Amino acid sequence: MKSAEPPRFILRFLQWFCKPEYHADIEGDLLELYDRRVADQGKFKANLRLSKDVLLLFRPGIIRSAKIHQPITSNGMIKNYFIMGWRNLRKNKLYTTINVLGLTFGMVCFLLIGLYVYEELNFDTQHTQGERIYRVIMHQKSPSQEATTVAAAGYMVAEEPRHSFPEVEQTTRMQRVGRANLVDPQNPVNVQETMTIADEYFLQVFDFPFIEGDRRSALKEPNTIVITEDLAMRIFGRTDVIDKNLQFDRMQKPLKITGILKNHPQNSSFNFTSVMSESTFTDEQSKREAEIDWTSANFTVYALLRAGANPDSVSGKITHLTHTNVQLEPGTTLSYSLQPLKDVHLKSDGITDGGKNSNVDPIPQGNPVYVTVFLFTAILVLLIAGINYSNLTTARASSRLKEIGVRKVIGAVRSNLIGQFLVESLITTVIAFGVAVLIVAILLPSFNEFVNKKFSLFSSVGLGFWAAAAGLILAMVLLSGGYAALLLSRFKPVSLLKGLALKSGSDFSVRKALVVLQFTISTVMIIGTIVLFRQVRFLNESNLGFNKDLMVVIDVNVIKARSNFDWVKNEMSKIPAVEQVSVSSHVPGEWKTLVRVKLKKEGGGDQLRTAYVIGADKDFLTTYGIELLKGRNFRNANDTSAILINEAAAKILGITQISNEGVEIPQSARGSFFNPIYDDINASFKPRVVGIVKDFHFQSLRAKIEPLVIAYHDNPIYPIDYYSVKIQPQNIQTTLEKLKAVMVANDEREPFEYHFLDEQLARFYIEDQRSQTILGWVALASVVIACLGLFGLATYSAEQRLKEIGVRKVLGANLVSIMALLSKDFVKLVLIACCFAFPIAWFGANWWLQDYAYHINVEWWIFALAGVIATGIALLTVSYQAIKAAMVTPVKTLKSQ
Amino acid sequence: MKHLQLGEFEEIVLLTVGVLHGNAYGVTIKDEIEQRLGREVTIGALQITLRRLESKGFLKSTPGDSTESRRGRPKLFFEITAYGKKALDYCKESRDELWKALPKLVLNLK
Repeated sequence: MKSAEPPRFILRFLQWFCKPEYHADIEGDLLELYDRRVADQGKFKANLRLSKDVLLLFRPGIIRSAKIHQPITSNGMIKNYFIMGWRNLRKNKLYTTINVLGLTFGMVCFLLIGLYVYEELNFDTQHTQGERIYRVIMHQKSPSQEATTVAAAGYMVAEEPRHSFPEVEQTTRMQRVGRANLVDPQNPVNVQETMTIADEYFLQVFDFPFIEGDRRSALKEPNTIVITEDLAMRIFGRTDVIDKNLQFDRMQKPLKITGILKNHPQNSSFNFTSVMSESTFTDEQSKREAEIDWTSANFTVYALLRAGANPDSVSGKITHLTHTNVQLEPGTTLSYSLQPLKDVHLKSDGITDGGKNSNVDPIPQGNPVYVTVFLFTAILVLLIAGINYSNLTTARASSRLKEIGVRKVIGAVRSNLIGQFLVESLITTVIAFGVAVLIVAILLPSFNEFVNKKFSLFSSVGLGFWAAAAGLILAMVLLSGGYAALLLSRFKPVSLLKGLALKSGSDFSVRKALVVLQFTISTVMIIGTIVLFRQVRFLNESNLGFNKDLMVVIDVNVIKARSNFDWVKNEMSKIPAVEQVSVSSHVPGEWKTLVRVKLKKEGGGDQLRTAYVIGADKDFLTTYGIELLKGRNFRNANDTSAILINEAAAKILGITQISNEGVEIPQSARGSFFNPIYDDINASFKPRVVGIVKDFHFQSLRAKIEPLVIAYHDNPIYPIDYYSVKIQPQNIQTTLEKLKAVMVANDEREPFEYHFLDEQLARFYIEDQRSQTILGWVALASVVIACLGLFGLATYSAEQRLKEIGVRKVLGANLVSIMALLSKDFVKLVLIACCFAFPIAWFGANWWLQDYAYHINVEWWIFALAGVIATGIALLTVSYQAIKAAMVTPVKTLKSQ
Repeated sequence: MKHLQLGEFEEIVLLTVGVLHGNAYGVTIKDEIEQRLGREVTIGALQITLRRLESKGFLKSTPGDSTESRRGRPKLFFEITAYGKKALDYCKESRDELWKALPKLVLNLK
């Protein structure tokens, strides 16, 4: 008769607390009683009584003392762990290599990506008061429900709170008013710089480190300028240039240098090279204007709040203050919010950079999506590597059973064994970490070049990074070594020494699950890489509707280049290698913000529409190869009030045929807000539509093609700013020299700034391109690591089954069937992983592609390809071992028993 | 003579071990006390008393064979030592002394 089994956890509990020397017979007594009670009273009551008995045994005389089983923690024991760990690692060179390699790969990926992510997450943290600095954001909604969110505010928004709000410690204003040549009057070499203006508190709110000069007074006086080390080197060739003079070519008076700043660290949102004092530009007239300026978007305003102040209540007060001082147009809403300085880099999605002229580059923004994706991939790769270690160690447990058994018999308790295994994993991890740091140090220069940053292993990141890395490594030791340690130290010595087979059904399924997890991650990454790769290629190769190759774009930087453009154009066309020349206000690509206007068809209701504007001459269409669908191109100087529109604009204006329709353009945007074009508010620019051009992608492919107006170069909205020169592919350098000669002949102060259009267009997607490459490498690494693990497991399982294979061969199995036998299990796991990976990748890819108005479709073959790659690599890995095992002569494996 | 003193339950356990002479282990001791005295004995109370008596030297234990009904767990048999005997004697004597000294009158009280 099989007797009823008492609940195991109760006996476990007893075993756990009871003094070992008492345990056996007490348990015997309990069991004897239990059996009797089961017979008398039934199982339920017996269980109840047993629990009661055990609970009553939980008393001082029976509970073991905590000390009895702690071995003496002497240095000797710890030293022994290290010796034994080291020996074990050396004994199994193959597995050690696999483990170290896997961990190293994982850590290299992790460290490199970590450097990048760490910096992105720590932008603008160098200011000591940074925690309390906020950027003022203005939210405006016009009567036509057009919402704008801009990082800018009026003059008084900075001026007034400083005095009237106790929570505000200080405020500061900054403006980027345009670009101009900055020269040393004694040695005039043109350097094109952004003109930045800030008030005297700017350097007190932010602590940009000074090399020379006084923080408090540097920007107080009129006609003073503070420059960075880098600019000083470029202009003067040295940095001890305090009290020297500089001059912007638009300005009447020279500026005195009152301070030299250190260069901005690369994790700074500020990229100005010089700052002029605001008082330089203050006269009676501007003072009067400033005092009523509440709602302009001319200034970037930063507020330094007092500790503990609530930014929401302060921004509410600012909103209130503005409303009491300004009468808004009916239907307009206006409110302010305060954005913490540390959020400026990553959390400015939907916020236009304001307080700047449209020809100044906006401050560079980080892409939070990529930062998150990278952070996760970095952690996942490390996870894969950790899983490898855990899997291999537990899989090899049975070859170490005897060792564990003997240790236990000699007197090792569980904690000894756990210590032993953890030390082993510590040694492996530390070796891997050392190798990884070495590899990172070697790879860093090319990585820097690639992500366009200047990382160095020790100086660019703080102690925090290394502390985090060390913490992570330690966590890895505990997680990957810990599972193995707990599992292996659990077995009973007797069963170990008797050589009983491990009851490891559950462990094996854990191991399987981990392999599935590894391959799920890897497959998702493979799919992600393919999708990214195809999307980036699609972006760079799709037909934009105009010709971008071999196009040199030259900036107009001096006034004469603008006024005398006919002569310049003429001279340029004389160069034999030049095919076409055109001038325009903007060109497609990422440089400066395109101008927008409000327009409506003459007599077509009151509804104002928004469109972008490019001013261009008659050669624009031919130079860029833009197709004219209907009507005519510009002809001559009489066309000043003619415009061409694209299909999108034609559609919103409802123009289908060209019959000289009039269009009213009452407002255009400078910065972020629309202002009347002419001083007379009621006057409108009233051009006639003379032609419709085919839609072309003048913006990034992220955006749909917007309505576009091509106005004549001589228009009231925006003057010409670029020459576009279509050249021939031969001797590009010589052609560039000749172009420069023409420009310099026109005006000797010409700095000749030029770009190639295709490169400039590629800048739209540079982040994507980078991410694609990084993700590609990480995916590769993750596959390699996962395969290393698989290789280890396969090696081990083949070793375990040598006898079985021998018997099978003797009975007539052939090579293929044995290979199939060994590979089947692993391939099954990879296939299961694919089942998990496909939906995840599908959702992820679609989510990311939503960002692009024009994107590839996620097609089925991408999944098939990724599946085939993952399975194929796994199969290759496993089959090496399978073939090796299947080739062994059966005699060899069978003779020994 | 303090070290020979016994608690009430200790005395009962010690006596029972004597009664069971040679067959005294956890379960039998428990059964015996429960039968003879009609009081419930928990394993916890019993074990702790046994161990205390053993550590005082009144009992000694010898592990026995394991049997099927105990799933391989050994029995631990207890025996009274000479010292234990002495403690019992002392206990009895001291009670007797007191009994003798007790006035008859008190006993007749209801």
